Amino acid sequence: MRKKILVVDDEKNIRLLLVEELTDEGYDVVTAKDGAVAFEMIQTEKPDLVTLDIKMPGEDGLSILRKIRETEYDLPVIICSAYSVYKSDFSAVAANHYVTKSSDFEELKNKIREILSYES
Amino acid sequence: MNLSESPLINQKLAVDDHAQEQLHNLKHADIIIGIPSYNNADSIGRVIKAADLGLAKYFPNRKSVILISEGGDHEKTRNAVNGLKDKNYFEDSFIAKPEFETEVLVTQYRGTSGKGTAIKAIFEAAKILDVKAGCMLDADLRSISPEWIELLIAPIIYKEFGLVAPYYSRHKYDGTITNMIAFPLTLALYGRRVRQPIGGDFGFSLELIESLLSKDVWETDIARFGIDIWMTTVAICENFRICQSFLGAKIHDAKDPGNDLSPMFKQVVGTIFSLINIYMDSWVRVKGSKPTAIFGFESEVAPKPIDIDVSNLIDKFSDSVPKYMPVWRKVLAPENCKKLEEVAKADPALFEMPVDLWIKSLFDFSIAYNLRTDGMDPAEIIEALVPIYYAMTASFVRRTQNLDSYQAEELITQQCSYFEKLKPYLVEHWQNEKKGDM
Repeated sequence: MRKKILVVDDEKNIRLLLVEELTDEGYDVVTAKDGAVAFEMIQTEKPDLVTLDIKMPGEDGLSILRKIRETEYDLPVIICSAYSVYKSDFSAVAANHYVTKSSDFEELKNKIREILSYES
Repeated sequence: MNLSESPLINQKLAVDDHAQEQLHNLKHADIIIGIPSYNNADSIGRVIKAADLGLAKYFPNRKSVILISEGGDHEKTRNAVNGLKDKNYFEDSFIAKPEFETEVLVTQYRGTSGKGTAIKAIFEAAKILDVKAGCMLDADLRSISPEWIELLIAPIIYKEFGLVAPYYSRHKYDGTITNMIAFPLTLALYGRRVRQPIGGDFGFSLELIESLLSKDVWETDIARFGIDIWMTTVAICENFRICQSFLGAKIHDAKDPGNDLSPMFKQVVGTIFSLINIYMDSWVRVKGSKPTAIFGFESEVAPKPIDIDVSNLIDKFSDSVPKYMPVWRKVLAPENCKKLEEVAKADPALFEMPVDLWIKSLFDFSIAYNLRTDGMDPAEIIEALVPIYYAMTASFVRRTQNLDSYQAEELITQQCSYFEKLKPYLVEHWQNEKKGDM
């Protein structure tokens, strides 16, 4: 069965790019533009993994991550941010991995493969 | 709960008779704060005040008890507690006194001398009082604030976690047993990233302590310094929900690993190795590691710098080679023993312990401790690991001397990934040893 990934990012172009890249990798991909939509989709879509941007208008990614962890104890979450500086924030330790955005998303794809291979 | 109805009544309790009577008179409490102490009368006042104020500020409508479990000079501790009876620290703190005044009790625990038995007495009291949640605080803490009480208790009461592990901001050289052994082994073996698995300050649910009290371990090294890693490992392996709370800096009576930590090392590592055998069915199946939820508020904190005497560590390692080489030859795989000999012969100025050699040595020692003692006492095996730990600590200090604490943390994270990558070595060698036994 194909694994489902929820991409949470406020930038439409990044969401579209990740849908394309991750679909090519053989995943089903759903997207959310902010935390409120993400929480709803976690309940309705039951993703196997979430990729989460940090700098977003309104609720930031680290705050979303804290809330996810209160209910979704074991749901894999990868922070995918353009900024590496937030890695030193203690809240980031609740993510499975922290990757910085790159043009080909190679590190992100490798981490997704790695985590989902452990989960299966 | 009435003491006569308690399932503990037929057991030999660690909590003493007088304290049992006091607990019986109290009948019930919602929260217990335990403070295991060994002659900490000089520092315990600060911890009691912070605990009392924290309970009043964050849980004013809950009935609470603070219990000090003393293994040393009981009278001195009782005097320190009596000195706080007027609770005038409330006047200076702008925190209103709570609906139920918090009871502060002292018990002189009974049984095997050690921190584990002190904690057992507190767990027994928690069970007698049928509490909803509790937390444990080290008696030598100097950085505690009332906020710690909320951070350790609230996840249990409001979010139904079973264990709240602490997450401290520590100096890069504080907690070397945690950084070199307890954290990476817990992560790699049991697949859960708990940054401070032997932190002395933690929150617990009644369900967790019922599970812990039911186990027949209280006469072993677990009753000493092994208690913290044992509780964390049981909580992980028995699927209790675990979270972490960011408590800021931990300032306490930190020790230089080359001078002070040898007994603690033996008890903690002995417990970790025993647990590897007990939970073999769990860890052998685990791949990768999962993060742990974290609560708290980010604050800029500067942990107190700690000096480590690197030359002393290297000397202790080099000087111990003739004494321990016969044990190392029995315990270590031949290629690892050969590499260790090369490390010992290196110029002290260029001294370096390779990380993969350290990890494989730890794995070899855990196998020998549990499955291949070759007539050696398990304590003798652990003792022979101490100089290798000194070598690894010296090497870590050398590698990180020009790094800040965050950069040193990155290095620890990198070492953890080596533990995960090398785990198949442990699985393979453990299973081969088991087959050899049959």
